[in-house]
Amino acid sequence: MLGFRALKTVTAAALLLGAGVVSASADATSSIQARQACMKANGAVMAVAVPIVKGEKPFDKAALDAAFAKEKEACAGWADWWGDDTKPGGATETWAKEEVWTDKAGFEAAGAAYGKAATAVAAAADEASFKAAFPALGASCQGCHEKFRRPKG
Amino acid sequence: MLSKRNITVLALLTALGLVALWLLSVPRGLTLADLPQHQPDVANGEILYHAAGCWSCHKPGTDLKDVDPNLPAGGFPLKTPVGTFYPPNLTPDPATGLGTWSDLDFVNAVQRGVSPAGANLIPAFPYTSYAHMRVEDVLDIKAYLATLPAIDSPARSAEIPFPALLRRGVGLWKWIGLDTTPWEPDPVQSASWNRGSYLVNGPGHCAECHTPRNVFMALDTSQALAGGPHPEGEGRVPSLRGLIERGRYKDAKDIASALQFGEMLGYDKLSSGGMGQVQRNIAKLPEADIQAIGEYLASLK
Ligand code: HEC
Ligand code: HEC
Ligand code: HEC
Repeated sequence: MLGFRALKTVTAAALLLGAGVVSASADATSSIQARQACMKANGAVMAVAVPIVKGEKPFDKAALDAAFAKEKEACAGWADWWGDDTKPGGATETWAKEEVWTDKAGFEAAGAAYGKAATAVAAAADEASFKAAFPALGASCQGCHEKFRRPKG
Repeated sequence: MLSKRNITVLALLTALGLVALWLLSVPRGLTLADLPQHQPDVANGEILYHAAGCWSCHKPGTDLKDVDPNLPAGGFPLKTPVGTFYPPNLTPDPATGLGTWSDLDFVNAVQRGVSPAGANLIPAFPYTSYAHMRVEDVLDIKAYLATLPAIDSPARSAEIPFPALLRRGVGLWKWIGLDTTPWEPDPVQSASWNRGSYLVNGPGHCAECHTPRNVFMALDTSQALAGGPHPEGEGRVPSLRGLIERGRYKDAKDIASALQFGEMLGYDKLSSGGMGQVQRNIAKLPEADIQAIGEYLASLK
Protein backbone atom coordinates (compact mmCIF):
# COMPACT_ATOMS: atom_id res chain seq x y z
CA MET A 1 0.00 0.00 0.00
CA LEU A 2 0.99 3.58 -0.58
CA GLY A 3 2.14 5.35 2.60
CA PHE A 4 0.60 8.69 3.54
CA ARG A 5 3.76 10.58 2.61
CA ALA A 6 4.01 8.85 -0.75
CA LEU A 7 0.40 9.66 -1.43
CA LYS A 8 1.04 13.33 -0.65
CA THR A 9 4.01 13.43 -3.04
CA VAL A 10 2.07 11.74 -5.78
CA THR A 11 -0.85 14.13 -5.32
CA ALA A 12 1.45 17.15 -5.39
CA ALA A 13 3.13 15.87 -8.53
CA ALA A 14 -0.22 15.22 -10.16
CA LEU A 15 -1.41 18.71 -9.22
CA LEU A 16 1.76 20.25 -10.64
CA LEU A 17 1.42 18.21 -13.79
CA GLY A 18 -2.21 19.12 -14.04
CA ALA A 19 -1.41 22.81 -13.53
CA GLY A 20 1.23 22.61 -16.26
CA VAL A 21 -1.17 20.99 -18.68
CA VAL A 22 -3.94 23.42 -17.83
CA SER A 23 -1.77 26.49 -18.28
CA ALA A 24 -0.38 25.23 -21.62
CA SER A 25 -3.79 24.40 -22.96
CA ALA A 26 -5.28 27.62 -21.60
CA ASP A 27 -2.77 29.48 -23.77
CA ALA A 28 -3.61 27.38 -26.77
CA THR A 29 -7.30 27.69 -26.02
CA SER A 30 -7.20 31.46 -25.84
CA SER A 31 -5.21 31.67 -29.08
CA ILE A 32 -7.70 29.44 -30.86
CA GLN A 33 -10.64 31.34 -29.42
CA ALA A 34 -9.05 34.65 -30.38
CA ARG A 35 -8.52 33.66 -34.01
CA GLN A 36 -12.03 32.28 -34.23
CA ALA A 37 -13.40 35.55 -32.80
CA CYS A 38 -11.33 37.45 -35.38
CA MET A 39 -12.89 35.31 -38.10
CA LYS A 40 -16.37 35.91 -36.72
CA ALA A 41 -15.65 39.67 -36.91
CA ASN A 42 -14.72 39.09 -40.55
CA GLY A 43 -18.06 37.40 -41.01
CA ALA A 44 -19.70 40.46 -39.45
CA VAL A 45 -17.94 42.72 -41.99
CA MET A 46 -19.40 40.54 -44.72
CA ALA A 47 -22.86 40.79 -43.22
CA VAL A 48 -22.69 44.58 -43.64
CA ALA A 49 -20.82 44.61 -46.96
CA VAL A 50 -22.66 41.97 -48.98
CA PRO A 51 -26.14 43.56 -49.02
CA ILE A 52 -24.46 46.74 -50.31
CA VAL A 53 -22.59 44.81 -52.99
CA LYS A 54 -25.81 43.09 -54.03
CA GLY A 55 -27.61 46.43 -54.17
CA GLU A 56 -30.08 45.40 -51.48
CA LYS A 57 -28.96 48.21 -49.19
CA PRO A 58 -27.52 51.68 -49.88
CA PHE A 59 -23.81 52.34 -49.45
CA ASP A 60 -23.31 53.06 -45.73
CA LYS A 61 -19.81 54.25 -44.95
CA ALA A 62 -20.47 54.58 -41.22
CA ALA A 63 -21.73 51.00 -40.83
CA LEU A 64 -18.77 49.69 -42.84
CA ASP A 65 -16.30 51.72 -40.79
CA ALA A 66 -17.80 50.36 -37.57
CA ALA A 67 -17.59 46.75 -38.78
CA PHE A 68 -14.00 47.19 -39.96
CA ALA A 69 -13.03 48.85 -36.65
CA LYS A 70 -14.35 45.83 -34.73
CA GLU A 71 -12.57 43.49 -37.11
CA LYS A 72 -9.30 45.37 -36.64
CA GLU A 73 -9.63 45.14 -32.89
CA ALA A 74 -10.60 41.46 -32.92
CA CYS A 75 -7.73 40.52 -35.23
CA ALA A 76 -4.99 42.64 -33.63
CA GLY A 77 -2.95 39.71 -32.24
CA TRP A 78 -3.33 37.48 -35.35
CA ALA A 79 0.37 36.72 -35.85
CA ASP A 80 0.73 35.39 -32.28
CA TRP A 81 -2.14 32.89 -32.38
CA TRP A 82 -0.53 30.08 -34.36
CA GLY A 83 1.78 28.41 -31.82
CA ASP A 84 2.55 24.73 -32.32
CA ASP A 85 0.26 23.88 -29.40
CA THR A 86 -2.72 25.25 -31.37
CA LYS A 87 -2.48 22.65 -34.14
CA PRO A 88 -5.45 20.41 -34.88
CA GLY A 89 -5.71 17.37 -32.63
CA GLY A 90 -5.07 19.30 -29.39
CA ALA A 91 -7.43 19.77 -26.47
CA THR A 92 -9.31 22.70 -28.02
CA GLU A 93 -11.10 22.12 -31.28
CA THR A 94 -9.76 24.11 -34.18
CA TRP A 95 -10.75 24.04 -37.83
CA ALA A 96 -7.34 25.21 -38.98
CA LYS A 97 -5.57 22.61 -41.13
CA GLU A 98 -2.13 21.13 -40.56
CA GLU A 99 -1.07 23.06 -43.71
CA VAL A 100 -0.99 26.31 -41.67
CA TRP A 101 2.15 24.89 -40.07
CA THR A 102 3.56 22.88 -42.98
CA ASP A 103 3.13 25.67 -45.57
CA LYS A 104 3.95 28.74 -43.51
CA ALA A 105 4.88 30.85 -46.55
CA GLY A 106 1.57 30.01 -48.26
CA PHE A 107 -0.39 30.87 -45.14
CA GLU A 108 1.40 34.19 -44.76
CA ALA A 109 0.80 35.03 -48.43
CA ALA A 110 -2.92 34.26 -47.99
CA GLY A 111 -2.97 36.56 -44.96
CA ALA A 112 -1.15 39.30 -46.87
CA ALA A 113 -3.62 39.08 -49.79
CA TYR A 114 -6.42 39.48 -47.29
CA GLY A 115 -4.72 42.45 -45.56
CA LYS A 116 -4.25 44.25 -48.86
CA ALA A 117 -7.83 43.65 -50.00
CA ALA A 118 -9.33 44.61 -46.63
CA THR A 119 -7.37 47.87 -46.56
CA ALA A 120 -8.61 48.77 -50.02
CA VAL A 121 -12.25 47.99 -49.18
CA ALA A 122 -12.08 49.86 -45.86
CA ALA A 123 -10.59 52.88 -47.60
CA ALA A 124 -13.26 53.05 -50.32
CA ALA A 125 -15.03 56.39 -49.98
CA ASP A 126 -17.93 55.82 -52.35
CA GLU A 127 -20.10 53.02 -53.65
CA ALA A 128 -18.30 52.60 -56.99
CA SER A 129 -14.83 52.20 -55.51
CA PHE A 130 -16.26 49.97 -52.76
CA LYS A 131 -17.87 47.65 -55.29
CA ALA A 132 -14.71 47.58 -57.37
CA ALA A 133 -12.53 46.68 -54.39
CA PHE A 134 -14.84 44.09 -52.83
CA PRO A 135 -14.29 40.98 -55.03
CA ALA A 136 -10.60 40.81 -54.04
CA LEU A 137 -11.63 40.68 -50.38
CA GLY A 138 -14.07 37.81 -50.93
CA ALA A 139 -11.46 36.01 -53.01
CA SER A 140 -8.96 36.34 -50.18
CA CYS A 141 -11.30 34.63 -47.70
CA GLN A 142 -11.89 31.84 -50.22
CA GLY A 143 -8.22 31.54 -51.09
CA CYS A 144 -7.20 30.96 -47.48
CA HIS A 145 -10.16 28.78 -46.45
CA GLU A 146 -9.65 26.46 -49.42
CA LYS A 147 -6.16 25.54 -48.35
CA PHE A 148 -6.01 26.19 -44.63
CA ARG A 149 -9.44 25.54 -43.09
CA ARG A 150 -11.29 22.29 -42.56
CA PRO A 151 -15.05 22.35 -43.07
CA LYS A 152 -16.98 22.56 -39.81
CA GLY A 153 -20.14 20.84 -41.09
CA MET B 1 -13.18 -34.70 -34.97
CA LEU B 2 -13.19 -33.96 -38.65
CA SER B 3 -13.23 -37.08 -40.76
CA LYS B 4 -11.25 -37.24 -43.95
CA ARG B 5 -14.48 -36.97 -45.83
CA ASN B 6 -15.55 -33.85 -43.92
CA ILE B 7 -12.23 -32.25 -44.70
CA THR B 8 -12.64 -32.98 -48.39
CA VAL B 9 -16.13 -31.46 -48.33
CA LEU B 10 -14.88 -28.40 -46.47
CA ALA B 11 -11.99 -27.96 -48.89
CA LEU B 12 -14.39 -28.24 -51.80
CA LEU B 13 -16.76 -25.70 -50.25
CA THR B 14 -13.90 -23.29 -49.57
CA ALA B 15 -12.70 -23.62 -53.13
CA LEU B 16 -16.23 -23.08 -54.40
CA GLY B 17 -16.55 -20.01 -52.15
CA LEU B 18 -13.32 -18.58 -53.51
CA VAL B 19 -14.40 -19.23 -57.07
CA ALA B 20 -17.75 -17.57 -56.33
CA LEU B 21 -16.00 -14.54 -54.82
CA TRP B 22 -13.70 -14.38 -57.80
CA LEU B 23 -16.63 -14.53 -60.22
CA LEU B 24 -18.62 -12.00 -58.20
CA SER B 25 -15.68 -9.60 -58.36
CA VAL B 26 -15.41 -9.79 -62.15
CA PRO B 27 -15.90 -6.30 -63.62
CA ARG B 28 -19.34 -6.01 -65.21
CA GLY B 29 -19.66 -3.42 -67.92
CA LEU B 30 -22.21 -2.42 -70.53
CA THR B 31 -22.24 -3.91 -74.02
CA LEU B 32 -22.57 -2.22 -77.42
CA ALA B 33 -26.29 -3.05 -77.38
CA ASP B 34 -26.69 -0.74 -74.35
CA LEU B 35 -25.47 2.32 -76.27
CA PRO B 36 -28.13 4.47 -77.95
CA GLN B 37 -27.88 5.86 -81.48
CA HIS B 38 -26.76 9.39 -80.73
CA GLN B 39 -25.58 12.46 -82.61
CA PRO B 40 -23.16 14.05 -80.11
CA ASP B 41 -23.79 17.63 -78.96
CA VAL B 42 -20.47 19.23 -78.06
CA ALA B 43 -22.02 22.30 -76.40
CA ASN B 44 -24.08 20.10 -74.09
CA GLY B 45 -20.96 18.04 -73.41
CA GLU B 46 -19.08 21.13 -72.26
CA ILE B 47 -21.85 22.04 -69.80
CA LEU B 48 -21.93 18.53 -68.35
CA TYR B 49 -18.14 18.39 -68.20
CA HIS B 50 -18.26 21.41 -65.88
CA ALA B 51 -21.26 20.11 -63.93
CA ALA B 52 -19.39 16.83 -63.40
CA GLY B 53 -16.20 18.60 -62.35
CA CYS B 54 -13.97 16.35 -64.45
CA TRP B 55 -11.19 18.94 -64.54
CA SER B 56 -11.02 19.24 -60.73
CA CYS B 57 -9.53 15.77 -60.46
CA HIS B 58 -7.97 15.48 -63.92
CA LYS B 59 -6.10 18.79 -63.92
CA PRO B 60 -2.49 18.84 -65.16
CA GLY B 61 0.25 17.74 -62.79
CA THR B 62 2.82 20.31 -61.70
CA ASP B 63 5.44 18.76 -64.02
CA LEU B 64 3.38 19.78 -67.10
CA LYS B 65 4.68 23.33 -67.00
CA ASP B 66 3.96 24.42 -70.58
CA VAL B 67 0.48 22.95 -70.64
CA ASP B 68 -2.62 25.17 -70.43
CA PRO B 69 -3.67 24.62 -66.79
CA ASN B 70 -7.35 24.61 -67.84
CA LEU B 71 -6.94 21.38 -69.79
CA PRO B 72 -7.75 18.00 -68.18
CA ALA B 73 -4.27 16.74 -69.01
CA GLY B 74 -4.10 14.63 -65.86
CA GLY B 75 -1.39 13.81 -63.38
CA PHE B 76 -2.24 16.10 -60.47
CA PRO B 77 -2.12 14.07 -57.25
CA LEU B 78 -5.48 13.23 -55.64
CA LYS B 79 -4.97 12.15 -52.02
CA THR B 80 -7.59 9.76 -50.65
CA PRO B 81 -7.73 7.51 -47.58
CA VAL B 82 -6.88 4.54 -49.86
CA GLY B 83 -3.78 6.18 -51.32
CA THR B 84 -2.70 8.77 -53.86
CA PHE B 85 -4.14 8.70 -57.39
CA TYR B 86 -2.93 10.61 -60.45
CA PRO B 87 -6.20 10.78 -62.43
CA PRO B 88 -5.18 10.32 -66.07
CA ASN B 89 -5.09 12.47 -69.18
CA LEU B 90 -8.56 13.12 -70.69
CA THR B 91 -7.30 15.00 -73.75
CA PRO B 92 -7.49 13.22 -77.15
CA ASP B 93 -3.80 12.28 -77.30
CA PRO B 94 -3.78 8.80 -78.91
CA ALA B 95 -0.82 7.47 -76.92
CA THR B 96 -1.46 8.88 -73.42
CA GLY B 97 -5.03 10.23 -73.53
CA LEU B 98 -8.45 9.12 -74.73
CA GLY B 99 -7.64 9.40 -78.45
CA THR B 100 -8.18 5.71 -79.23
CA TRP B 101 -11.02 5.06 -76.75
CA SER B 102 -14.31 3.79 -78.17
CA ASP B 103 -17.63 5.17 -76.94
CA LEU B 104 -18.18 1.92 -75.08
CA ASP B 105 -14.77 2.16 -73.36
CA PHE B 106 -15.63 5.66 -72.19
CA VAL B 107 -19.16 4.91 -70.98
CA ASN B 108 -17.95 1.82 -69.14
CA ALA B 109 -15.25 3.80 -67.33
CA VAL B 110 -17.46 6.78 -66.45
CA GLN B 111 -20.69 4.93 -65.61
CA ARG B 112 -19.60 1.45 -64.49
CA GLY B 113 -16.06 1.96 -63.23
CA VAL B 114 -14.58 -0.57 -65.64
CA SER B 115 -11.39 0.23 -67.58
CA PRO B 116 -10.96 -0.70 -71.26
CA ALA B 117 -8.63 -3.51 -70.12
CA GLY B 118 -11.46 -4.84 -67.95
CA ALA B 119 -10.22 -3.83 -64.48
CA ASN B 120 -12.39 -2.34 -61.76
CA LEU B 121 -11.71 1.34 -61.16
CA ILE B 122 -11.53 2.68 -57.61
CA PRO B 123 -14.60 4.75 -56.65
CA ALA B 124 -12.40 7.76 -55.77
CA PHE B 125 -13.53 8.33 -59.37
CA PRO B 126 -17.23 9.13 -58.73
CA TYR B 127 -18.69 6.77 -61.37
CA THR B 128 -21.08 5.75 -58.59
CA SER B 129 -22.91 9.06 -59.26
CA TYR B 130 -22.20 9.29 -62.97
CA ALA B 131 -23.92 5.88 -63.27
CA HIS B 132 -27.25 7.73 -62.93
CA MET B 133 -26.53 10.04 -65.89
CA ARG B 134 -28.15 9.81 -69.30
CA VAL B 135 -25.78 7.85 -71.56
CA GLU B 136 -26.30 10.53 -74.24
CA ASP B 137 -24.88 13.15 -71.87
CA VAL B 138 -21.82 11.00 -71.20
CA LEU B 139 -21.27 10.57 -74.95
CA ASP B 140 -21.55 14.37 -75.30
CA ILE B 141 -18.79 14.80 -72.69
CA LYS B 142 -16.63 12.45 -74.75
CA ALA B 143 -17.36 14.51 -77.88
CA TYR B 144 -16.43 17.70 -76.04
CA LEU B 145 -13.17 16.19 -74.75
CA ALA B 146 -12.33 15.21 -78.35
CA THR B 147 -12.34 18.92 -79.33
CA LEU B 148 -9.56 19.79 -76.85
CA PRO B 149 -5.90 19.98 -77.86
CA ALA B 150 -4.08 16.66 -77.44
CA ILE B 151 -1.51 16.77 -74.66
CA ASP B 152 1.25 14.23 -74.16
CA SER B 153 0.86 13.27 -70.51
CA PRO B 154 1.60 9.64 -69.68
CA ALA B 155 -0.41 7.98 -66.92
CA ARG B 156 1.19 7.50 -63.53
CA SER B 157 0.18 4.49 -61.41
CA ALA B 158 -1.77 5.10 -58.26
CA GLU B 159 0.07 4.64 -54.97
CA ILE B 160 -2.37 2.18 -53.43
CA PRO B 161 -1.76 -1.01 -51.45
CA PHE B 162 -2.20 -4.37 -53.27
CA PRO B 163 -3.70 -2.77 -56.41
CA ALA B 164 -4.75 -6.04 -58.09
CA LEU B 165 -6.50 -7.36 -54.98
CA LEU B 166 -8.02 -3.96 -54.18
CA ARG B 167 -9.51 -3.75 -57.67
CA ARG B 168 -11.05 -7.23 -57.29
CA GLY B 169 -12.34 -6.12 -53.89
CA VAL B 170 -14.00 -3.15 -55.56
CA GLY B 171 -15.71 -5.64 -57.84
CA LEU B 172 -17.33 -7.23 -54.78
CA TRP B 173 -18.11 -3.86 -53.26
CA LYS B 174 -19.92 -2.79 -56.42
CA TRP B 175 -22.70 -5.31 -55.66
CA ILE B 176 -23.75 -3.07 -52.77
CA GLY B 177 -21.99 0.21 -53.49
CA LEU B 178 -22.81 0.79 -57.17
CA ASP B 179 -26.43 1.64 -57.92
CA THR B 180 -26.85 1.91 -61.69
CA THR B 181 -30.51 3.02 -61.65
CA PRO B 182 -30.85 5.82 -64.21
CA TRP B 183 -32.03 9.15 -62.81
CA GLU B 184 -35.81 9.55 -63.17
CA PRO B 185 -37.73 12.83 -63.36
CA ASP B 186 -40.49 13.52 -60.84
CA PRO B 187 -43.55 14.36 -62.95
CA VAL B 188 -45.23 16.47 -60.23
CA GLN B 189 -42.25 18.85 -60.08
CA SER B 190 -41.32 21.64 -62.49
CA ALA B 191 -38.90 21.17 -65.39
CA SER B 192 -36.43 23.41 -63.58
CA TRP B 193 -36.63 21.40 -60.32
CA ASN B 194 -36.05 18.22 -62.32
CA ARG B 195 -33.06 19.75 -64.08
CA GLY B 196 -31.64 20.65 -60.66
CA SER B 197 -32.33 17.16 -59.34
CA TYR B 198 -30.54 15.64 -62.34
CA LEU B 199 -27.51 17.91 -62.04
CA VAL B 200 -27.19 17.30 -58.29
CA ASN B 201 -27.78 13.53 -58.29
CA GLY B 202 -26.06 12.65 -61.58
CA PRO B 203 -23.14 14.65 -62.95
CA GLY B 204 -22.75 16.97 -59.92
CA HIS B 205 -21.99 13.95 -57.66
CA CYS B 206 -22.91 16.12 -54.67
CA ALA B 207 -23.87 12.99 -52.72
CA GLU B 208 -20.29 11.69 -52.79
CA CYS B 209 -19.45 14.28 -50.13
CA HIS B 210 -22.82 15.43 -48.77
CA THR B 211 -24.39 11.98 -48.13
CA PRO B 212 -22.98 9.96 -45.22
CA ARG B 213 -21.78 6.39 -45.81
CA ASN B 214 -22.86 3.18 -44.12
CA VAL B 215 -20.57 0.46 -42.72
CA PHE B 216 -20.01 -0.86 -46.24
CA MET B 217 -18.79 2.58 -47.37
CA ALA B 218 -21.83 2.77 -49.64
CA LEU B 219 -23.91 5.97 -49.69
CA ASP B 220 -26.59 5.83 -46.98
CA THR B 221 -29.51 6.89 -49.18
CA SER B 222 -31.84 7.06 -46.17
CA GLN B 223 -29.84 10.17 -45.24
CA ALA B 224 -29.42 11.59 -48.73
CA LEU B 225 -27.48 14.89 -48.72
CA ALA B 226 -27.81 15.14 -44.92
CA GLY B 227 -24.08 15.79 -44.41
CA GLY B 228 -21.49 13.83 -42.43
CA PRO B 229 -17.77 13.21 -42.03
CA HIS B 230 -15.73 14.34 -45.02
CA PRO B 231 -14.92 11.30 -47.19
CA GLU B 232 -11.30 12.43 -47.43
CA GLY B 233 -11.05 12.81 -43.67
CA GLU B 234 -10.95 16.60 -43.45
CA GLY B 235 -13.63 17.82 -41.05
CA ARG B 236 -17.37 17.61 -41.62
CA VAL B 237 -19.48 18.22 -44.72
CA PRO B 238 -22.64 20.27 -44.02
CA SER B 239 -26.16 19.06 -44.73
CA LEU B 240 -27.94 20.33 -47.84
CA ARG B 241 -31.32 19.69 -46.21
CA GLY B 242 -33.37 22.47 -44.68
CA LEU B 243 -31.01 25.19 -45.95
CA ILE B 244 -33.91 27.67 -45.93
CA GLU B 245 -35.57 26.39 -42.72
CA ARG B 246 -32.26 26.60 -40.84
CA GLY B 247 -31.83 30.19 -42.05
CA ARG B 248 -28.66 29.48 -44.02
CA TYR B 249 -30.25 31.10 -47.10
CA LYS B 250 -33.27 33.29 -47.79
CA ASP B 251 -34.66 31.37 -50.74
CA ALA B 252 -33.81 29.29 -53.82
CA LYS B 253 -32.34 32.35 -55.56
CA ASP B 254 -30.08 33.02 -52.61
CA ILE B 255 -28.74 29.43 -52.75
CA ALA B 256 -28.17 29.84 -56.50
CA SER B 257 -26.31 33.09 -55.89
CA ALA B 258 -24.17 31.40 -53.22
CA LEU B 259 -23.30 28.62 -55.69
CA GLN B 260 -22.59 31.13 -58.44
CA PHE B 261 -20.35 33.48 -56.46
CA GLY B 262 -19.32 31.56 -53.34
CA GLU B 263 -17.18 33.30 -50.76
CA MET B 264 -16.36 35.94 -53.37
CA LEU B 265 -19.73 37.36 -52.42
CA GLY B 266 -19.32 36.83 -48.70
CA TYR B 267 -21.16 33.49 -48.44
CA ASP B 268 -19.45 31.35 -45.82
CA LYS B 269 -19.00 27.55 -45.98
CA LEU B 270 -18.38 27.35 -49.71
CA SER B 271 -14.63 26.91 -49.95
CA SER B 272 -13.11 24.38 -47.57
CA GLY B 273 -12.90 20.61 -48.09
CA GLY B 274 -13.10 20.79 -51.90
CA MET B 275 -16.31 22.86 -52.08
CA GLY B 276 -14.46 25.90 -53.49
CA GLN B 277 -13.56 23.93 -56.61
CA VAL B 278 -17.11 22.55 -56.90
CA GLN B 279 -18.46 26.08 -56.61
CA ARG B 280 -16.19 27.40 -59.37
CA ASN B 281 -17.33 24.54 -61.63
CA ILE B 282 -20.99 25.34 -60.94
CA ALA B 283 -20.28 29.00 -61.74
CA LYS B 284 -19.40 27.91 -65.30
CA LEU B 285 -22.93 26.54 -65.89
CA PRO B 286 -25.66 28.51 -67.67
CA GLU B 287 -27.56 30.76 -65.25
CA ALA B 288 -30.75 28.68 -65.66
CA ASP B 289 -28.92 25.53 -64.52
CA ILE B 290 -27.57 27.26 -61.41
CA GLN B 291 -31.08 28.49 -60.58
CA ALA B 292 -32.36 24.94 -61.13
CA ILE B 293 -29.87 23.57 -58.60
CA GLY B 294 -30.97 26.29 -56.15
CA GLU B 295 -34.62 25.39 -56.68
CA TYR B 296 -33.97 21.68 -56.10
CA LEU B 297 -31.83 22.22 -52.98
CA ALA B 298 -34.36 24.67 -51.51
CA SER B 299 -37.00 21.90 -51.70
CA LEU B 300 -34.99 19.41 -49.59
CA LYS B 301 -36.46 19.45 -46.10
C1 HEC C 1 -5.02 33.71 -43.91
C2 HEC C 1 -6.09 32.79 -43.80
C3 HEC C 1 -7.53 33.26 -43.66
C4 HEC C 1 -8.13 34.35 -44.25
C5 HEC C 1 -7.53 35.39 -45.19
C6 HEC C 1 -9.52 34.33 -43.83
N1 HEC C 1 -9.74 33.25 -43.02
FE1 HEC C 1 -11.50 32.79 -42.11
N2 HEC C 1 -10.61 31.18 -41.21
C7 HEC C 1 -9.29 30.81 -41.35
C8 HEC C 1 -8.99 29.68 -40.51
C9 HEC C 1 -7.65 28.97 -40.39
C10 HEC C 1 -10.20 29.38 -39.82
C11 HEC C 1 -10.38 28.31 -38.74
C12 HEC C 1 -9.88 28.90 -37.41
C13 HEC C 1 -9.91 27.92 -36.25
O1 HEC C 1 -10.90 27.18 -36.08
O2 HEC C 1 -8.92 27.89 -35.51
C14 HEC C 1 -11.20 30.34 -40.29
C15 HEC C 1 -12.52 30.38 -39.86
C16 HEC C 1 -13.48 31.27 -40.32
C17 HEC C 1 -14.86 31.30 -39.89
C18 HEC C 1 -15.50 30.36 -38.88
C19 HEC C 1 -15.30 30.94 -37.50
C20 HEC C 1 -15.91 30.07 -36.41
O3 HEC C 1 -15.16 29.56 -35.56
O4 HEC C 1 -17.12 29.89 -36.44
C21 HEC C 1 -15.48 32.36 -40.54
C22 HEC C 1 -16.93 32.82 -40.41
C23 HEC C 1 -14.48 32.97 -41.38
N3 HEC C 1 -13.26 32.29 -41.25
C24 HEC C 1 -14.71 34.08 -42.18
C25 HEC C 1 -13.74 34.71 -42.95
C26 HEC C 1 -14.00 35.83 -43.84
C27 HEC C 1 -15.36 36.46 -44.06
C28 HEC C 1 -12.81 36.16 -44.40
C29 HEC C 1 -12.50 37.26 -45.40
C30 HEC C 1 -12.99 38.57 -45.12
C31 HEC C 1 -11.80 35.25 -43.87
N4 HEC C 1 -12.41 34.37 -43.01
C32 HEC C 1 -10.46 35.27 -44.23
C33 HEC C 1 -8.36 31.40 -42.17
C34 HEC C 1 -8.56 32.57 -42.90
C1 HEC D 1 -13.35 13.19 -57.55
C2 HEC D 1 -12.32 13.00 -58.54
C3 HEC D 1 -12.70 12.66 -59.98
C4 HEC D 1 -13.62 13.28 -60.78
C5 HEC D 1 -14.55 14.43 -60.42
C6 HEC D 1 -13.52 12.64 -62.06
N1 HEC D 1 -12.57 11.66 -62.04
FE1 HEC D 1 -12.00 10.49 -63.61
N2 HEC D 1 -10.78 9.46 -62.37
C7 HEC D 1 -10.54 9.75 -61.05
C8 HEC D 1 -9.62 8.77 -60.51
C9 HEC D 1 -9.10 8.74 -59.08
C10 HEC D 1 -9.31 7.88 -61.54
C11 HEC D 1 -8.41 6.65 -61.47
C12 HEC D 1 -9.23 5.49 -60.93
C13 HEC D 1 -8.43 4.22 -60.79
O1 HEC D 1 -7.22 4.23 -61.00
O2 HEC D 1 -9.05 3.19 -60.44
C14 HEC D 1 -10.06 8.35 -62.71
C15 HEC D 1 -10.02 7.72 -63.95
C16 HEC D 1 -10.71 8.18 -65.05
C17 HEC D 1 -10.61 7.57 -66.36
C18 HEC D 1 -9.66 6.47 -66.75
C19 HEC D 1 -10.15 5.14 -66.56
C20 HEC D 1 -9.09 4.14 -67.05
O3 HEC D 1 -9.48 3.01 -67.26
O4 HEC D 1 -7.93 4.50 -67.20
C21 HEC D 1 -11.44 8.28 -67.19
C22 HEC D 1 -11.69 8.03 -68.66
C23 HEC D 1 -12.04 9.31 -66.40
N3 HEC D 1 -11.58 9.22 -65.11
C24 HEC D 1 -12.92 10.23 -66.90
C25 HEC D 1 -13.56 11.19 -66.11
C26 HEC D 1 -14.58 12.07 -66.62
C27 HEC D 1 -15.07 12.12 -68.05
C28 HEC D 1 -14.98 12.82 -65.56
C29 HEC D 1 -16.11 13.85 -65.53
C30 HEC D 1 -17.36 13.37 -66.06
C31 HEC D 1 -14.19 12.42 -64.41
N4 HEC D 1 -13.33 11.43 -64.80
C32 HEC D 1 -14.30 12.98 -63.16
C33 HEC D 1 -11.07 10.78 -60.33
C34 HEC D 1 -12.06 11.64 -60.78
C1 HEC E 1 -15.54 17.24 -52.60
C2 HEC E 1 -16.66 17.16 -51.71
C3 HEC E 1 -17.91 17.95 -52.09
C4 HEC E 1 -18.68 17.84 -53.23
C5 HEC E 1 -18.47 16.92 -54.41
C6 HEC E 1 -19.74 18.79 -53.07
N1 HEC E 1 -19.64 19.45 -51.88
FE1 HEC E 1 -20.82 20.99 -51.23
N2 HEC E 1 -19.66 21.21 -49.61
C7 HEC E 1 -18.58 20.43 -49.29
C8 HEC E 1 -17.96 20.94 -48.08
C9 HEC E 1 -16.74 20.35 -47.39
C10 HEC E 1 -18.71 22.07 -47.69
C11 HEC E 1 -18.39 23.03 -46.53
C12 HEC E 1 -17.35 24.03 -47.01
C13 HEC E 1 -16.86 25.01 -45.98
O1 HEC E 1 -17.19 24.89 -44.80
O2 HEC E 1 -16.11 25.95 -46.37
C14 HEC E 1 -19.78 22.20 -48.67
C15 HEC E 1 -20.76 23.20 -48.62
C16 HEC E 1 -21.81 23.30 -49.49
C17 HEC E 1 -22.89 24.27 -49.40
C18 HEC E 1 -23.07 25.31 -48.30
C19 HEC E 1 -23.90 24.73 -47.18
C20 HEC E 1 -24.29 25.75 -46.14
O3 HEC E 1 -24.66 25.34 -45.03
O4 HEC E 1 -24.22 26.94 -46.44
C21 HEC E 1 -23.74 24.06 -50.46
C22 HEC E 1 -25.01 24.83 -50.78
C23 HEC E 1 -23.17 22.96 -51.22
N3 HEC E 1 -22.02 22.51 -50.61
C24 HEC E 1 -23.75 22.45 -52.37
C25 HEC E 1 -23.16 21.44 -53.14
C26 HEC E 1 -23.69 21.00 -54.41
C27 HEC E 1 -24.96 21.54 -55.07
C28 HEC E 1 -22.85 20.03 -54.86
C29 HEC E 1 -22.92 19.25 -56.15
C30 HEC E 1 -23.00 20.04 -57.36
C31 HEC E 1 -21.79 19.88 -53.87
N4 HEC E 1 -22.01 20.74 -52.85
C32 HEC E 1 -20.74 18.98 -54.02
C33 HEC E 1 -18.09 19.34 -50.00
C34 HEC E 1 -18.53 18.97 -51.25
